[in-house]
Amino acid sequence: MESSYRIVPANANKSASVQDTANSLGLHDTLRYGPRSLAAEVQTESNLRNRLENWEATQDNTRLTLQRSTYGLHAPMRLLMERKIVTQGTNPFTAAMSPSNLHLDILMGRDNALEPADVFLGMESGPSLDIHEELRKRNM
Amino acid sequence: GIVLGADTRATEGPIVADKNCEKIHYITDNIRCCGAGTAADTEYTTALVSSNMELHALSTGRTPRVVTAMTMLKQMLFRYQGHIGAALVLAGVDATGPHLFTIHPHGSTDKLPYVTMGSGSLAAMARDDALALVKAAISAGIFNDLGSGSNVDACIITADHTEMLRNVEMPNVRVQKERTYTFRKGTTAWTKESVRNLVVSEQVTPVGDAMDTT
Repeated sequence: MESSYRIVPANANKSASVQDTANSLGLHDTLRYGPRSLAAEVQTESNLRNRLENWEATQDNTRLTLQRSTYGLHAPMRLLMERKIVTQGTNPFTAAMSPSNLHLDILMGRDNALEPADVFLGMESGPSLDIHEELRKRNM
Repeated sequence: GIVLGADTRATEGPIVADKNCEKIHYITDNIRCCGAGTAADTEYTTALVSSNMELHALSTGRTPRVVTAMTMLKQMLFRYQGHIGAALVLAGVDATGPHLFTIHPHGSTDKLPYVTMGSGSLAAMARDDALALVKAAISAGIFNDLGSGSNVDACIITADHTEMLRNVEMPNVRVQKERTYTFRKGTTAWTKESVRNLVVSEQVTPVGDAMDTT
């Protein structure tokens, strides 16, 4: 949690990196992720995607910062601790087995709301069968 | 109470895509929303907010308020920076009284006693007087604007009852055709007639050996 009162995600400094789609050789893995042009991405992408992806996180951060300034340092720490307990790190396969975490939804206040992600198909590509890849991504 | 009115024309550029579409969307029993702008955006946004309002009402155990729907809508539209082309007029009667709000695609809202949106016209105000006023206002839009047309829908919301008047006025009924344009039998000659018999013969052919019960 960064100490920031931002309501709206900041305009990201445009940066595109091959790291997220790299294979073991270090280059963009076209066979797995499809074609990609870094120059095109940096020049043409608008802020909307970054804004939508970081919306919830930014709002949550603002809430935590307000609680820190109102109630003290312990308040956001306790909330984050509760969230961590609920998404226990003992199970690295949760994304594959069951992507819905009811306890986390209740703690985050989403238990009485629907998002478009709930209505439309959730996973873009079913549960990844490559556990090594998942663990490697998690440890990175 | 509140009276909402809308026309029923959906356009695709210069073409009328739907002559009798429903522009007064259901949010809850006591809240309705008229949508102008992109039809898909208004329909999806109002459907999503309707679901969320129902869940919220079940969670709080109270009849939902118009300001709740307004807040949900404005926060969502602001998040999408106006890319969702939904200009909405939200109206309803809740425990705090009747309310009328407009919500623009970028997320700004206004609270007003009477308001119009889009190229049509919607208004709030005594019941029959209000209904007559709304019908006159929408008719003015229907006859003087190319983007509006067909029929008038109205919705009357009061503290204890909501009445949806679909096609309350239909000033654009197509005139009956003067002649019949069907061709009489025998207009054209035909050279061959064959009627296919749908009853086909059935023949059972045993495949392989008889059942092996060893």
